[in-house]
Amino acid sequence: MPKTTPDKLKPGMKLLRPVTNRGGMVLLGEGTELTAALIEKIRDMDADSIFVQGISPPSTSKEEALSDLDRRFKSAEGKPYMDVIKKALREHIEGLYG
Amino acid sequence: MGSVAGIGDLRDKVENINALPTIPGVLKRLLGVIENPRVSLNEISNFVSNDPALTTKVLKMVNSPVYGFPGRISSVNQAVILLGLSVVKGLLLGVSVFDLMQKTMIGLWEHSLGCAIIARLIAEKKGLKEPEEASIDGLLHDIGKVLLILRFPDKYEKAMHDADINGMGIYEAERLHYGTTHASVGSWMAQKWRFPQKLVDVIEHHHKPHLSKSAPVESAIVHLSDILVRARGFGFAGDHTLMAVNPKSWQMLGLSEADLRDVLWTFEESLEMTEDLAL
Repeated sequence: MPKTTPDKLKPGMKLLRPVTNRGGMVLLGEGTELTAALIEKIRDMDADSIFVQGISPPSTSKEEALSDLDRRFKSAEGKPYMDVIKKALREHIEGLYG
Repeated sequence: MGSVAGIGDLRDKVENINALPTIPGVLKRLLGVIENPRVSLNEISNFVSNDPALTTKVLKMVNSPVYGFPGRISSVNQAVILLGLSVVKGLLLGVSVFDLMQKTMIGLWEHSLGCAIIARLIAEKKGLKEPEEASIDGLLHDIGKVLLILRFPDKYEKAMHDADINGMGIYEAERLHYGTTHASVGSWMAQKWRFPQKLVDVIEHHHKPHLSKSAPVESAIVHLSDILVRARGFGFAGDHTLMAVNPKSWQMLGLSEADLRDVLWTFEESLEMTEDLAL
C-alpha cells in the first residue's frame, strides 16, 4: 500500500511518511492517524502521493504464493536452520493476505 | 579454463572491461573517477551534478528505503556529505553498471536492491554503526555477475542455461564455465576500484561468509540477505536454487524469529516505495 493518492485515503489509515507543504514544512507527522477532516485537508493541498502504513495484497493467490515458496525451498530442504527461515517466510507470506 | 594461467587471463580481461566498445562513454568517465586514488568528495559531487540523468538516479536512490533518509536529501552535495565517499562511489557504480545488462539477467537489479534493503535492516537490528555501508554491500555483492555478462555474454548465457536444466546454483555453473565465480570476479574489481577492504571481502565471501577475515559480520549479513530475498521470490539472480544458510554465520547473527519477521515486514513496506527505482 504505502504509496497512494489522496483520493484513496480512508479514515483510520496511518501516515508512513510526514505530509509536507511545497516548502518542505511538515504539516502532519509520521504515524498520524487520518480522520475525515484531515483527509479533506490533504485533498485540498493537491499532493501527488501520500505514504501510508500497511501493505497492498499480492496479485497472486495465497495458495499459489505458498506453493511457490515450497518450490523455492526444495533445494535447501533438510539443511540446518532452513526450516526456521522457511517458517518465518511462510508466516510472512500468509500475513500479506491479512 | 580453470588453470592458474587461465584465471590470470580472465582477470586481465575483466579488469580491462573499460576497453570494451559496448561500455558507454559516461560509464568510462565514471570508472576513471572511481579508480582515481586521490578523488575528493568535491570531484565526485561535481561529476554527478554535471550529469542530470545521473543526478536524478542518485537522488532517487538516496531518498529511497535502500538508505535510511526517506525524502530528506535534496542535493548531490548533501548526499555525498551524509553518506561518505565509499558509499557514494558504490551507489554510482550500482546505478550505472546494472543498467547495461538488464536484458541478460532480468531481475538482478531488483535482487540487488532487495539485498541492499534487507542488509541495512539486519545491520540496524545488529546495531552496526554504519548501516548504509551494509546497503552498499548488498547492492554490489553480485557485481561480478554483471562483469562476467558484459565481458563474456554468450558464455554466461550457457552457464545460466546449465544451472537451469541441471538444477544447480549459478555459482557452481560459473565455476564449471569460467574456473572461478562472480564472487571472486566482483572482488577483483572492487579492489581495482579502490573500495574499502571490507566491501572487497564481503563480495568475495557472500557465498562462504565463514571464510571472511576482515568482515565476518557484514559477509554473514549479505549472505543471509541474499537468501531471504530469493526465498521471498523477489527479483532474479541467475538460478532457481536457494542456497542453504551457512550455520556458523546464522548462529553469529543470532536473529530471533521475531527479528526475521520484523525485517521481512519492513522490507515489504520498503519495496512498495522502490517502484520508481527501476533503471
